[in-house]
Amino acid sequence: MERDPNVIVIGEDVGAQGGVFGATRGLQKKFGSQRVVDTPISESAITGMGVGLALEGFRPVLEIMFVDFIGVCLDQVYNAIAKNHYMSGGRIRMPIVIKTAGGCIGSGAQHSQCLWGLFAHLPGLKVVAPSNPYDAKGLLASAVESDDPVIYIEHKGLLLKRAEDFTFGREVPAERYTVPIGEAKIVRDGRDLTLITLSGTVAPAVLAAEAVAKSGIDVEVLDLRSVVPLDMVTVIESVRKTGRVLVVDEDYLSYGLSGEVITRLVEAGVALKSVKRLAVPDVPIPGAVTLERAVVPNADSIEATILEMVDKR
Amino acid sequence: MVGFLTKEDALCSTHRNHLHAIAKGVDMRAMLAEIFEKSTGLCGGYGGHMHLFDSDLKFSATGIVGAGVPVALGHAYGARLKQNNAVAVAVVGDGAVNTGAFHEAMNMAGAMKLPLIVLVENNEWAISVPFSAASATETIAERAPSWAAHGVRVDGLDVEQVVDAFSNAVQRGRAGQGPSIIEAMCYRFRGHFEGDADLYRSTEEKERRRAADPIERIKATLIERSLATAAELDGIELSISNSMAEMLASVRSDPSPDAADARRYVFVD
Ligand SMILES: Cc1ncc(C[n+]2csc(CCOP(=O)(O)OP(=O)(O)O)c2C)c(N)n1
Repeated sequence: MERDPNVIVIGEDVGAQGGVFGATRGLQKKFGSQRVVDTPISESAITGMGVGLALEGFRPVLEIMFVDFIGVCLDQVYNAIAKNHYMSGGRIRMPIVIKTAGGCIGSGAQHSQCLWGLFAHLPGLKVVAPSNPYDAKGLLASAVESDDPVIYIEHKGLLLKRAEDFTFGREVPAERYTVPIGEAKIVRDGRDLTLITLSGTVAPAVLAAEAVAKSGIDVEVLDLRSVVPLDMVTVIESVRKTGRVLVVDEDYLSYGLSGEVITRLVEAGVALKSVKRLAVPDVPIPGAVTLERAVVPNADSIEATILEMVDKR
Repeated sequence: MVGFLTKEDALCSTHRNHLHAIAKGVDMRAMLAEIFEKSTGLCGGYGGHMHLFDSDLKFSATGIVGAGVPVALGHAYGARLKQNNAVAVAVVGDGAVNTGAFHEAMNMAGAMKLPLIVLVENNEWAISVPFSAASATETIAERAPSWAAHGVRVDGLDVEQVVDAFSNAVQRGRAGQGPSIIEAMCYRFRGHFEGDADLYRSTEEKERRRAADPIERIKATLIERSLATAAELDGIELSISNSMAEMLASVRSDPSPDAADARRYVFVD
Protein backbone atom coordinates (compact mmCIF):
# COMPACT_ATOMS: atom_id res chain seq x y z
CA MET A 1 0.00 0.00 0.00
CA GLU A 2 2.96 2.28 0.58
CA ARG A 3 4.30 1.56 -2.89
CA ASP A 4 1.04 1.71 -4.78
CA PRO A 5 -1.65 4.27 -3.91
CA ASN A 6 -4.09 2.32 -6.07
CA VAL A 7 -4.29 -0.51 -3.54
CA ILE A 8 -7.59 -0.16 -1.67
CA VAL A 9 -8.78 -2.46 1.12
CA ILE A 10 -12.53 -2.96 1.42
CA GLY A 11 -14.52 -5.23 3.70
CA GLU A 12 -16.49 -5.83 6.87
CA ASP A 13 -14.64 -4.82 10.04
CA VAL A 14 -11.31 -4.27 8.25
CA GLY A 15 -10.98 -0.64 9.36
CA ALA A 16 -11.65 0.43 12.94
CA GLN A 17 -11.34 -3.11 14.26
CA GLY A 18 -8.55 -4.21 11.94
CA GLY A 19 -10.30 -7.42 10.92
CA VAL A 20 -11.89 -10.12 13.08
CA PHE A 21 -8.49 -11.87 13.12
CA GLY A 22 -6.50 -8.62 13.38
CA ALA A 23 -5.07 -9.10 9.88
CA THR A 24 -5.58 -5.44 8.92
CA ARG A 25 -4.85 -3.95 12.33
CA GLY A 26 -3.41 -0.44 12.15
CA LEU A 27 -3.98 -0.19 8.40
CA GLN A 28 -6.77 2.36 8.55
CA LYS A 29 -4.79 4.55 10.96
CA LYS A 30 -1.88 4.51 8.54
CA PHE A 31 -3.66 4.85 5.22
CA GLY A 32 -6.92 6.53 6.16
CA SER A 33 -10.53 5.55 5.81
CA GLN A 34 -10.61 6.29 2.06
CA ARG A 35 -8.20 3.47 1.36
CA VAL A 36 -9.24 1.13 4.15
CA VAL A 37 -13.00 0.98 4.00
CA ASP A 38 -15.36 -0.56 6.54
CA THR A 39 -18.48 -1.76 4.78
CA PRO A 40 -22.00 -2.82 5.66
CA ILE A 41 -22.71 -6.57 5.43
CA SER A 42 -23.15 -6.34 1.68
CA GLU A 43 -20.93 -8.93 0.01
CA SER A 44 -22.50 -8.56 -3.45
CA ALA A 45 -21.88 -4.83 -3.34
CA ILE A 46 -18.33 -5.32 -2.05
CA THR A 47 -17.34 -7.71 -4.85
CA GLY A 48 -19.21 -5.83 -7.57
CA MET A 49 -17.60 -2.63 -6.35
CA GLY A 50 -14.24 -4.35 -6.67
CA VAL A 51 -14.97 -5.00 -10.34
CA GLY A 52 -15.83 -1.33 -10.91
CA LEU A 53 -12.76 -0.14 -9.02
CA ALA A 54 -10.56 -2.47 -11.06
CA LEU A 55 -12.09 -0.96 -14.20
CA GLU A 56 -11.18 2.44 -12.77
CA GLY A 57 -7.57 1.34 -12.49
CA PHE A 58 -7.42 0.50 -8.80
CA ARG A 59 -6.17 -2.69 -7.14
CA PRO A 60 -8.90 -3.66 -4.71
CA VAL A 61 -8.19 -6.06 -1.88
CA LEU A 62 -11.65 -7.27 -0.91
CA GLU A 63 -12.02 -8.99 2.39
CA ILE A 64 -14.86 -11.49 2.68
CA MET A 65 -14.62 -12.52 6.30
CA PHE A 66 -15.11 -16.29 5.86
CA VAL A 67 -14.90 -18.16 2.57
CA ASP A 68 -18.35 -19.61 3.29
CA PHE A 69 -19.88 -16.15 2.84
CA ILE A 70 -18.63 -15.91 -0.74
CA GLY A 71 -21.76 -17.91 -1.48
CA VAL A 72 -23.62 -14.62 -1.16
CA CYS A 73 -21.58 -12.94 -3.92
CA LEU A 74 -20.42 -15.85 -6.03
CA ASP A 75 -22.02 -14.26 -9.07
CA GLN A 76 -19.58 -11.34 -9.16
CA VAL A 77 -16.72 -13.76 -8.46
CA TYR A 78 -17.37 -16.24 -11.21
CA ASN A 79 -19.33 -14.27 -13.76
CA ALA A 80 -17.28 -11.08 -13.63
CA ILE A 81 -14.00 -11.24 -11.73
CA ALA A 82 -12.94 -14.59 -13.18
CA LYS A 83 -14.11 -13.97 -16.75
CA ASN A 84 -13.86 -10.27 -17.60
CA HIS A 85 -10.28 -10.44 -18.82
CA TYR A 86 -11.18 -13.32 -21.11
CA MET A 87 -14.50 -11.95 -22.31
CA SER A 88 -12.87 -8.65 -23.19
CA GLY A 89 -10.34 -10.45 -25.34
CA GLY A 90 -7.62 -9.46 -22.88
CA ARG A 91 -8.54 -5.78 -23.03
CA ILE A 92 -9.45 -5.32 -19.40
CA ARG A 93 -7.78 -6.61 -16.28
CA MET A 94 -9.13 -7.65 -12.94
CA PRO A 95 -6.25 -7.16 -10.48
CA ILE A 96 -8.44 -8.04 -7.52
CA VAL A 97 -7.54 -9.96 -4.38
CA ILE A 98 -10.33 -11.62 -2.45
CA LYS A 99 -8.82 -12.20 0.94
CA THR A 100 -10.79 -14.63 3.04
CA ALA A 101 -10.52 -17.23 5.79
CA GLY A 102 -11.29 -20.93 5.62
CA GLY A 103 -10.68 -24.12 7.55
CA CYS A 104 -12.07 -26.00 10.51
CA ILE A 105 -11.95 -24.71 14.05
CA GLY A 106 -15.04 -26.43 15.40
CA SER A 107 -17.59 -23.98 13.97
CA GLY A 108 -19.93 -26.28 12.06
CA ALA A 109 -21.08 -26.50 8.47
CA GLN A 110 -21.43 -22.81 7.54
CA HIS A 111 -18.17 -21.49 9.01
CA SER A 112 -15.61 -24.21 8.32
CA GLN A 113 -15.21 -24.82 4.62
CA CYS A 114 -12.01 -24.44 2.58
CA LEU A 115 -13.55 -24.37 -0.92
CA TRP A 116 -10.27 -23.82 -2.81
CA GLY A 117 -11.30 -26.66 -5.09
CA LEU A 118 -14.45 -24.73 -6.02
CA PHE A 119 -12.55 -21.58 -6.99
CA ALA A 120 -9.87 -23.62 -8.76
CA HIS A 121 -12.60 -25.15 -10.91
CA LEU A 122 -13.56 -21.72 -12.23
CA PRO A 123 -11.17 -20.67 -15.00
CA GLY A 124 -9.49 -17.32 -14.46
CA LEU A 125 -8.88 -17.30 -10.73
CA LYS A 126 -5.55 -17.88 -9.02
CA VAL A 127 -6.04 -19.64 -5.72
CA VAL A 128 -3.54 -19.28 -2.89
CA ALA A 129 -3.57 -20.84 0.60
CA PRO A 130 -0.48 -20.27 2.78
CA SER A 131 0.62 -22.56 5.63
CA ASN A 132 2.88 -20.27 7.66
CA PRO A 133 3.55 -16.60 8.51
CA TYR A 134 6.51 -16.15 6.13
CA ASP A 135 4.58 -17.41 3.12
CA ALA A 136 1.42 -15.59 4.18
CA LYS A 137 3.12 -12.22 3.89
CA GLY A 138 5.10 -12.99 0.74
CA LEU A 139 2.18 -14.59 -1.09
CA LEU A 140 -0.15 -11.75 -0.16
CA ALA A 141 2.33 -9.24 -1.57
CA SER A 142 2.45 -11.27 -4.80
CA ALA A 143 -1.34 -11.48 -4.89
CA VAL A 144 -1.70 -7.71 -4.58
CA GLU A 145 0.89 -7.26 -7.32
CA SER A 146 -0.78 -9.79 -9.62
CA ASP A 147 -2.71 -8.49 -12.62
CA ASP A 148 -4.96 -11.55 -12.37
CA PRO A 149 -7.60 -12.03 -9.71
CA VAL A 150 -6.43 -14.03 -6.71
CA ILE A 151 -8.53 -15.83 -4.13
CA TYR A 152 -6.31 -15.73 -1.07
CA ILE A 153 -7.54 -18.14 1.59
CA GLU A 154 -6.02 -18.01 5.05
CA HIS A 155 -6.68 -20.82 7.49
CA LYS A 156 -8.57 -19.72 10.61
CA GLY A 157 -6.64 -22.16 12.77
CA LEU A 158 -3.37 -20.60 11.59
CA LEU A 159 -4.67 -17.06 12.00
CA LEU A 160 -5.44 -17.84 15.64
CA LYS A 161 -1.99 -19.38 16.24
CA ARG A 162 0.89 -17.33 17.62
CA ALA A 163 3.86 -16.88 15.32
CA GLU A 164 6.24 -18.53 17.79
CA ASP A 165 4.10 -21.69 17.80
CA PHE A 166 4.84 -22.38 14.13
CA THR A 167 7.56 -24.94 13.52
CA PHE A 168 8.41 -23.51 10.11
CA GLY A 169 8.18 -20.11 8.43
CA ARG A 170 7.79 -18.24 11.68
CA GLU A 171 10.47 -15.59 11.01
CA VAL A 172 8.85 -12.73 9.13
CA PRO A 173 11.12 -9.94 7.89
CA ALA A 174 9.75 -6.46 8.53
CA GLU A 175 10.68 -5.29 5.04
CA ARG A 176 8.73 -6.07 1.90
CA TYR A 177 9.37 -9.31 0.02
CA THR A 178 7.34 -11.57 -2.22
CA VAL A 179 6.87 -15.31 -2.48
CA PRO A 180 6.00 -16.20 -6.07
CA ILE A 181 2.55 -17.69 -6.65
CA GLY A 182 2.70 -21.13 -8.24
CA GLU A 183 5.78 -22.62 -6.57
CA ALA A 184 5.32 -25.51 -4.20
CA LYS A 185 7.77 -25.90 -1.32
CA ILE A 186 9.37 -29.03 -0.02
CA VAL A 187 8.88 -28.72 3.71
CA ARG A 188 10.55 -32.05 4.53
CA ASP A 189 12.78 -34.23 2.38
CA GLY A 190 12.05 -37.93 2.08
CA ARG A 191 12.55 -41.01 -0.12
CA ASP A 192 9.58 -43.32 0.47
CA LEU A 193 6.43 -41.32 -0.11
CA THR A 194 5.42 -37.85 -1.31
CA LEU A 195 2.78 -36.24 0.88
CA ILE A 196 1.16 -33.35 -0.95
CA THR A 197 -0.87 -30.83 1.00
CA LEU A 198 -1.30 -27.12 1.80
CA SER A 199 -2.61 -24.60 4.33
CA GLY A 200 -3.69 -25.92 7.73
CA THR A 201 -2.77 -29.55 7.09
CA VAL A 202 0.94 -28.93 6.40
CA ALA A 203 1.86 -28.86 10.09
CA PRO A 204 -0.06 -32.07 10.96
CA ALA A 205 1.50 -33.69 7.87
CA VAL A 206 4.98 -32.86 9.15
CA LEU A 207 4.05 -34.23 12.58
CA ALA A 208 2.81 -37.46 10.99
CA ALA A 209 5.98 -37.68 8.89
CA GLU A 210 8.08 -37.35 12.00
CA ALA A 211 6.01 -40.00 13.77
CA VAL A 212 6.43 -42.57 10.98
CA ALA A 213 10.15 -41.75 10.69
CA LYS A 214 10.49 -43.77 13.90
CA SER A 215 9.31 -46.81 11.93
CA GLY A 216 11.90 -46.07 9.26
CA ILE A 217 9.47 -44.48 6.80
CA ASP A 218 10.89 -41.42 5.11
CA VAL A 219 8.16 -39.04 3.96
CA GLU A 220 8.65 -36.03 1.74
CA VAL A 221 6.15 -33.28 2.59
CA LEU A 222 5.25 -30.85 -0.12
CA ASP A 223 3.35 -27.62 0.58
CA LEU A 224 1.58 -26.63 -2.64
CA ARG A 225 1.00 -23.03 -1.45
CA SER A 226 -1.29 -22.43 -4.42
CA VAL A 227 -3.96 -24.60 -6.05
CA VAL A 228 -3.92 -22.47 -9.20
CA PRO A 229 -1.32 -22.47 -10.61
CA LEU A 230 -0.54 -26.02 -9.54
CA ASP A 231 3.22 -26.63 -9.42
CA MET A 232 3.31 -30.02 -11.14
CA VAL A 233 7.05 -29.71 -11.87
CA THR A 234 7.88 -30.01 -8.19
CA VAL A 235 5.18 -32.64 -7.63
CA ILE A 236 6.33 -34.84 -10.52
CA GLU A 237 9.99 -34.60 -9.56
CA SER A 238 9.21 -35.68 -6.01
CA VAL A 239 6.89 -38.54 -6.96
CA ARG A 240 9.37 -39.83 -9.57
CA LYS A 241 11.78 -40.21 -6.66
CA THR A 242 9.38 -41.79 -4.13
CA GLY A 243 6.86 -43.61 -6.33
CA ARG A 244 4.15 -43.16 -3.70
CA VAL A 245 1.75 -40.27 -3.40
CA LEU A 246 -0.65 -39.22 -0.68
CA VAL A 247 -2.69 -36.06 -1.13
CA VAL A 248 -4.05 -34.61 2.11
CA ASP A 249 -6.74 -31.99 1.60
CA GLU A 250 -8.99 -30.25 4.15
CA ASP A 251 -11.41 -29.45 1.32
CA TYR A 252 -14.04 -31.91 0.09
CA LEU A 253 -12.74 -35.11 -1.53
CA SER A 254 -14.59 -35.47 -4.80
CA TYR A 255 -14.06 -33.35 -7.92
CA GLY A 256 -11.25 -31.50 -6.16
CA LEU A 257 -7.56 -30.92 -5.59
CA SER A 258 -6.62 -34.50 -4.72
CA GLY A 259 -8.18 -35.97 -7.86
CA GLU A 260 -6.58 -33.24 -9.97
CA VAL A 261 -3.04 -33.81 -8.68
CA ILE A 262 -3.25 -37.56 -9.11
CA THR A 263 -4.79 -37.35 -12.58
CA ARG A 264 -2.02 -35.04 -13.70
CA LEU A 265 0.56 -37.49 -12.35
CA VAL A 266 -1.07 -40.32 -14.27
CA GLU A 267 -1.27 -38.22 -17.42
CA ALA A 268 2.41 -37.40 -17.07
CA GLY A 269 3.14 -41.12 -17.01
CA VAL A 270 4.74 -41.11 -13.57
CA ALA A 271 5.08 -44.66 -12.23
CA LEU A 272 3.00 -45.01 -9.07
CA LYS A 273 3.41 -47.85 -6.58
CA SER A 274 0.78 -46.54 -4.22
CA VAL A 275 -1.76 -43.70 -4.34
CA LYS A 276 -4.14 -42.40 -1.70
CA ARG A 277 -6.21 -39.34 -0.91
CA LEU A 278 -7.20 -38.14 2.52
CA ALA A 279 -9.80 -35.37 2.39
CA VAL A 280 -13.20 -34.49 3.81
CA PRO A 281 -15.28 -37.47 2.63
CA ASP A 282 -17.99 -35.47 0.86
CA VAL A 283 -19.87 -34.43 3.96
CA PRO A 284 -20.60 -30.95 5.30
CA ILE A 285 -18.41 -30.14 8.31
CA PRO A 286 -20.36 -31.43 11.31
CA GLY A 287 -20.99 -29.47 14.50
CA ALA A 288 -19.79 -31.96 17.09
CA VAL A 289 -16.03 -32.19 17.55
CA THR A 290 -16.20 -36.00 17.64
CA LEU A 291 -17.71 -35.91 14.15
CA GLU A 292 -15.41 -33.17 12.89
CA ARG A 293 -12.36 -35.19 13.90
CA ALA A 294 -13.75 -38.17 12.04
CA VAL A 295 -13.97 -36.31 8.72
CA VAL A 296 -11.19 -33.69 8.78
CA PRO A 297 -7.63 -34.93 8.22
CA ASN A 298 -5.40 -34.65 11.28
CA ALA A 299 -1.94 -35.88 12.28
CA ASP A 300 -3.32 -39.24 13.49
CA SER A 301 -5.35 -40.03 10.39
CA ILE A 302 -2.46 -38.91 8.17
CA GLU A 303 -0.07 -41.16 10.06
CA ALA A 304 -2.44 -44.12 9.79
CA THR A 305 -2.80 -43.58 6.05
CA ILE A 306 0.97 -43.43 5.53
CA LEU A 307 1.37 -46.69 7.46
CA GLU A 308 -1.20 -48.34 5.17
CA MET A 309 0.78 -47.21 2.13
CA VAL A 310 4.34 -48.05 3.12
CA ASP A 311 5.16 -51.44 4.57
CA LYS A 312 8.61 -51.37 6.12
CA ARG A 313 8.45 -54.67 7.97
CA MET B 1 -43.53 -13.45 20.18
CA VAL B 2 -44.76 -15.84 22.86
CA GLY B 3 -48.52 -15.78 22.86
CA PHE B 4 -48.81 -14.47 19.30
CA LEU B 5 -47.25 -17.22 17.25
CA THR B 6 -48.80 -20.63 16.80
CA LYS B 7 -47.13 -23.82 15.66
CA GLU B 8 -48.08 -22.95 12.09
CA ASP B 9 -46.26 -19.61 12.16
CA ALA B 10 -42.68 -20.03 11.04
CA LEU B 11 -39.75 -18.33 12.73
CA CYS B 12 -36.41 -17.94 10.93
CA SER B 13 -33.56 -16.83 13.12
CA THR B 14 -29.91 -15.90 13.01
CA HIS B 15 -26.51 -16.63 14.52
CA ARG B 16 -28.00 -15.19 17.71
CA ASN B 17 -30.93 -17.56 17.90
CA HIS B 18 -31.24 -19.17 21.33
CA LEU B 19 -33.74 -16.68 22.72
CA HIS B 20 -35.89 -16.93 19.61
CA ALA B 21 -35.94 -20.71 19.94
CA ILE B 22 -37.18 -20.34 23.51
CA ALA B 23 -39.88 -17.92 22.35
CA LYS B 24 -41.03 -20.42 19.71
CA GLY B 25 -41.26 -23.14 22.32
CA VAL B 26 -38.28 -25.25 21.27
CA ASP B 27 -37.49 -27.83 23.93
CA MET B 28 -34.85 -26.19 26.07
CA ARG B 29 -32.97 -29.31 27.03
CA ALA B 30 -32.68 -30.39 23.40
CA MET B 31 -31.48 -26.92 22.48
CA LEU B 32 -28.90 -26.83 25.25
CA ALA B 33 -27.68 -30.27 24.22
CA GLU B 34 -27.32 -29.02 20.63
CA ILE B 35 -25.35 -26.01 21.84
CA PHE B 36 -23.04 -28.54 23.48
CA GLU B 37 -23.14 -30.63 20.29
CA LYS B 38 -24.36 -33.75 22.07
CA SER B 39 -26.07 -36.67 20.39
CA THR B 40 -29.15 -35.84 22.49
CA GLY B 41 -29.30 -32.39 20.90
CA LEU B 42 -32.08 -30.93 18.78
CA CYS B 43 -30.10 -31.91 15.66
CA GLY B 44 -28.12 -34.77 17.15
CA GLY B 45 -25.01 -32.61 17.41
CA TYR B 46 -24.68 -32.27 13.63
CA GLY B 47 -25.72 -28.61 13.51
CA GLY B 48 -24.31 -26.84 16.53
CA HIS B 49 -25.51 -23.67 18.20
CA MET B 50 -25.88 -21.52 15.07
CA HIS B 51 -27.88 -24.07 13.12
CA LEU B 52 -30.92 -25.07 15.16
CA PHE B 53 -33.81 -26.72 13.34
CA ASP B 54 -37.16 -27.77 14.77
CA SER B 55 -39.40 -28.71 11.89
CA ASP B 56 -42.45 -29.41 14.06
CA LEU B 57 -42.35 -25.85 15.33
CA LYS B 58 -41.25 -24.39 11.99
CA PHE B 59 -38.15 -22.97 13.61
CA SER B 60 -34.83 -22.65 11.81
CA ALA B 61 -31.67 -20.62 12.06
CA THR B 62 -28.72 -19.79 9.84
CA GLY B 63 -25.21 -18.54 10.41
CA ILE B 64 -25.26 -16.57 7.18
CA VAL B 65 -26.30 -12.98 7.85
CA GLY B 66 -29.49 -12.03 5.99
CA ALA B 67 -30.14 -15.53 4.72
CA GLY B 68 -33.16 -16.14 6.95
CA VAL B 69 -35.33 -13.43 5.39
CA PRO B 70 -35.92 -15.14 2.01
CA VAL B 71 -36.56 -18.38 3.89
CA ALA B 72 -39.29 -16.66 5.88
CA LEU B 73 -40.64 -15.34 2.58
CA GLY B 74 -40.97 -18.96 1.47
CA HIS B 75 -42.88 -19.81 4.63
CA ALA B 76 -45.12 -16.79 4.05
CA TYR B 77 -45.93 -17.92 0.52
CA GLY B 78 -46.46 -21.46 1.83
CA ALA B 79 -49.04 -20.03 4.20
CA ARG B 80 -50.82 -18.41 1.26
CA LEU B 81 -50.79 -21.66 -0.72
CA LYS B 82 -52.13 -23.57 2.26
CA GLN B 83 -54.57 -20.80 3.16
CA ASN B 84 -53.90 -21.49 6.83
CA ASN B 85 -53.79 -17.85 7.94
CA ALA B 86 -50.26 -18.27 9.25
CA VAL B 87 -47.62 -15.55 9.33
CA ALA B 88 -43.87 -15.96 8.91
CA VAL B 89 -41.33 -14.16 11.04
CA ALA B 90 -37.69 -13.46 10.31
CA VAL B 91 -35.56 -12.06 13.07
CA VAL B 92 -32.43 -10.27 11.89
CA GLY B 93 -29.85 -7.84 13.20
CA ASP B 94 -29.33 -4.32 11.92
CA GLY B 95 -26.38 -5.61 9.91
CA ALA B 96 -28.57 -7.95 7.90
CA VAL B 97 -30.76 -5.18 6.51
CA ASN B 98 -27.92 -4.18 4.21
CA THR B 99 -27.71 -7.53 2.46
CA GLY B 100 -29.14 -8.16 -0.96
CA ALA B 101 -31.18 -11.05 0.41
CA PHE B 102 -33.06 -8.71 2.75
CA HIS B 103 -33.95 -6.22 -0.01
CA GLU B 104 -34.97 -8.89 -2.48
CA ALA B 105 -37.18 -10.69 0.02
CA MET B 106 -38.80 -7.49 1.30
CA ASN B 107 -39.62 -6.38 -2.21
CA MET B 108 -41.22 -9.71 -3.07
CA ALA B 109 -43.18 -9.76 0.17
CA GLY B 110 -44.49 -6.24 -0.63
CA ALA B 111 -45.24 -7.04 -4.26
CA MET B 112 -47.08 -10.22 -3.28
CA LYS B 113 -48.59 -8.74 -0.09
CA LEU B 114 -47.34 -11.69 1.92
CA PRO B 115 -47.67 -12.12 5.69
CA LEU B 116 -43.97 -11.60 6.39
CA ILE B 117 -42.88 -9.98 9.64
CA VAL B 118 -39.28 -8.91 9.95
CA LEU B 119 -38.22 -8.18 13.47
CA VAL B 120 -34.95 -6.26 13.38
CA GLU B 121 -32.94 -6.30 16.57
CA ASN B 122 -31.13 -3.02 16.05
CA ASN B 123 -28.30 -3.14 18.57
CA GLU B 124 -26.56 -0.37 16.64
CA TRP B 125 -23.51 -2.48 15.81
CA ALA B 126 -22.62 -5.15 13.28
CA ILE B 127 -19.48 -6.45 14.96
CA SER B 128 -17.33 -3.26 14.83
CA VAL B 129 -19.29 -1.29 12.24
CA PRO B 130 -21.90 1.11 13.65
CA PHE B 131 -25.34 1.13 12.07
CA SER B 132 -25.06 4.89 11.54
CA ALA B 133 -22.11 4.33 9.20
CA ALA B 134 -23.62 1.34 7.39
CA SER B 135 -27.12 2.53 6.59
CA ALA B 136 -28.19 5.17 4.09
CA THR B 137 -31.26 5.88 6.17
CA GLU B 138 -31.30 6.94 9.78
CA THR B 139 -33.76 4.23 10.71
CA ILE B 140 -34.77 0.93 9.20
CA ALA B 141 -38.46 1.54 9.82
CA GLU B 142 -38.45 4.47 7.39
CA ARG B 143 -37.39 2.16 4.57
CA ALA B 144 -40.64 0.19 4.88
CA PRO B 145 -42.74 2.23 2.42
CA SER B 146 -40.36 1.36 -0.40
CA TRP B 147 -41.54 -2.23 -0.05
CA ALA B 148 -45.19 -1.37 0.66
CA ALA B 149 -44.56 -2.62 4.17
CA HIS B 150 -45.61 -1.24 7.52
CA GLY B 151 -42.61 0.04 9.48
CA VAL B 152 -42.26 0.97 13.12
CA ARG B 153 -39.33 1.66 15.41
CA VAL B 154 -39.73 0.81 19.10
CA ASP B 155 -37.61 0.70 22.21
CA GLY B 156 -36.72 -2.97 22.06
CA LEU B 157 -35.73 -2.99 25.72
CA ASP B 158 -39.26 -2.04 26.70
CA VAL B 159 -41.26 -5.24 26.78
CA GLU B 160 -44.63 -3.56 26.38
CA GLN B 161 -43.64 -1.57 23.31
CA VAL B 162 -42.34 -4.72 21.65
CA VAL B 163 -45.49 -6.65 22.53
CA ASP B 164 -47.71 -3.95 21.03
CA ALA B 165 -45.72 -3.66 17.82
CA PHE B 166 -45.54 -7.41 17.37
CA SER B 167 -49.20 -7.93 18.04
CA ASN B 168 -50.04 -5.28 15.46
CA ALA B 169 -47.75 -6.84 12.85
CA VAL B 170 -49.27 -10.29 13.39
CA GLN B 171 -52.77 -8.87 13.03
CA ARG B 172 -51.81 -7.12 9.80
CA GLY B 173 -50.27 -10.29 8.46
CA ARG B 174 -53.28 -12.45 9.29
CA ALA B 175 -55.62 -9.82 7.85
CA GLY B 176 -53.81 -9.95 4.51
CA GLN B 177 -52.40 -6.43 4.84
CA GLY B 178 -48.89 -7.40 3.80
CA PRO B 179 -45.42 -7.32 5.34
CA SER B 180 -44.24 -5.45 8.44
CA ILE B 181 -40.89 -4.35 9.76
CA ILE B 182 -40.43 -3.87 13.48
CA GLU B 183 -37.20 -2.13 14.33
CA ALA B 184 -36.54 -2.88 17.98
CA MET B 185 -33.73 -0.76 19.39
CA CYS B 186 -31.44 -2.64 21.77
CA TYR B 187 -27.80 -3.07 22.72
CA ARG B 188 -25.27 -5.87 22.82
CA PHE B 189 -23.89 -6.05 26.34
CA ARG B 190 -20.87 -8.17 25.46
CA GLY B 191 -18.34 -8.49 22.62
CA HIS B 192 -19.56 -9.95 19.33
CA PHE B 193 -17.74 -13.25 19.84
CA GLU B 194 -15.77 -14.82 22.68
CA GLY B 195 -12.38 -13.16 22.53
CA ASP B 196 -13.65 -9.95 20.91
CA ALA B 197 -11.62 -7.15 22.56
CA ASP B 198 -14.59 -4.85 21.78
CA LEU B 199 -12.38 -1.73 21.57
CA TYR B 200 -14.64 -0.13 18.97
CA ARG B 201 -17.13 0.87 21.68
CA SER B 202 -16.10 3.11 24.56
CA THR B 203 -16.25 1.82 28.14
CA GLU B 204 -18.42 4.80 28.99
CA GLU B 205 -20.94 3.85 26.29
CA LYS B 206 -21.02 0.24 27.37
CA GLU B 207 -21.56 1.07 31.03
CA ARG B 208 -24.23 3.63 30.30
CA ARG B 209 -26.16 1.27 28.05
CA ARG B 210 -25.88 -1.58 30.54
CA ALA B 211 -28.07 0.42 32.88
CA ALA B 212 -31.02 -0.10 30.53
CA ASP B 213 -31.12 -3.87 31.10
CA PRO B 214 -34.61 -4.86 29.92
CA ILE B 215 -35.00 -7.54 32.57
CA GLU B 216 -34.35 -5.06 35.36
CA ARG B 217 -36.78 -2.65 33.71
CA ILE B 218 -39.65 -5.10 33.44
CA LYS B 219 -39.04 -6.23 37.01
CA ALA B 220 -39.32 -2.64 38.22
CA THR B 221 -42.53 -2.18 36.23
CA LEU B 222 -44.09 -5.34 37.68
CA ILE B 223 -43.24 -4.25 41.20
CA GLU B 224 -44.44 -0.68 40.62
CA ARG B 225 -47.81 -1.94 39.41
CA SER B 226 -48.04 -4.35 42.33
CA LEU B 227 -48.20 -7.31 39.98
CA ALA B 228 -45.36 -8.97 41.82
CA THR B 229 -43.14 -8.34 44.79
CA ALA B 230 -39.36 -8.17 44.64
CA ALA B 231 -39.24 -11.31 46.78
CA GLU B 232 -41.50 -13.21 44.37
CA LEU B 233 -39.38 -12.20 41.39
CA ASP B 234 -36.18 -13.16 43.18
CA GLY B 235 -37.80 -16.49 43.98
CA ILE B 236 -38.71 -17.09 40.33
CA GLU B 237 -35.21 -16.15 39.22
CA LEU B 238 -33.61 -18.44 41.76
CA SER B 239 -35.77 -21.40 40.89
CA ILE B 240 -35.17 -20.93 37.15
CA SER B 241 -31.45 -20.55 37.58
CA ASN B 242 -31.37 -23.67 39.77
CA SER B 243 -33.26 -25.72 37.23
CA MET B 244 -31.00 -24.39 34.45
CA ALA B 245 -27.91 -25.33 36.45
CA GLU B 246 -29.30 -28.83 36.86
CA MET B 247 -30.11 -29.07 33.16
CA LEU B 248 -26.64 -27.88 32.27
CA ALA B 249 -24.99 -30.44 34.50
CA SER B 250 -27.07 -33.21 33.04
CA VAL B 251 -26.46 -32.08 29.42
CA ARG B 252 -22.73 -31.96 30.01
CA SER B 253 -22.72 -35.64 30.82
CA ASP B 254 -24.65 -36.58 27.67
CA PRO B 255 -22.73 -38.52 25.01
CA SER B 256 -21.19 -36.88 21.97
CA PRO B 257 -22.22 -38.25 18.58
CA ASP B 258 -20.47 -41.41 17.50
CA ALA B 259 -17.63 -40.74 15.05
CA ALA B 260 -18.77 -43.77 13.03
CA ASP B 261 -21.94 -41.84 12.12
CA ALA B 262 -20.13 -38.82 10.67
CA ARG B 263 -21.20 -39.59 7.12
CA ARG B 264 -24.89 -40.05 7.89
CA TYR B 265 -27.48 -37.52 6.71
CA VAL B 266 -25.64 -36.20 3.64
CA PHE B 267 -28.53 -37.66 1.68
CA VAL B 268 -31.87 -38.97 2.86
CA ASP B 269 -30.79 -42.60 2.67
C1 LIG C 1 -23.18 -13.13 4.74
C2 LIG C 1 -22.39 -13.00 5.98
N1 LIG C 1 -21.44 -12.03 6.07
C3 LIG C 1 -20.72 -11.89 7.20
C4 LIG C 1 -20.91 -12.71 8.26
C5 LIG C 1 -20.07 -12.56 9.51
N2 LIG C 1 -20.88 -11.97 10.58
C6 LIG C 1 -21.51 -12.74 11.49
S1 LIG C 1 -22.46 -11.85 12.54
C7 LIG C 1 -22.03 -10.41 11.79
C8 LIG C 1 -22.61 -9.13 12.29
C9 LIG C 1 -24.06 -9.18 12.25
O1 LIG C 1 -24.59 -7.97 12.66
P1 LIG C 1 -26.14 -7.83 12.91
O2 LIG C 1 -26.90 -8.36 11.75
O3 LIG C 1 -26.39 -6.42 13.30
O4 LIG C 1 -26.43 -8.81 14.11
P2 LIG C 1 -25.83 -8.76 15.60
O5 LIG C 1 -24.73 -9.74 15.65
O6 LIG C 1 -25.38 -7.37 15.90
O7 LIG C 1 -26.98 -9.20 16.45
C10 LIG C 1 -21.15 -10.64 10.74
C11 LIG C 1 -20.56 -9.59 9.89
C12 LIG C 1 -21.88 -13.73 8.12
N3 LIG C 1 -22.11 -14.61 9.12
N4 LIG C 1 -22.60 -13.84 6.99
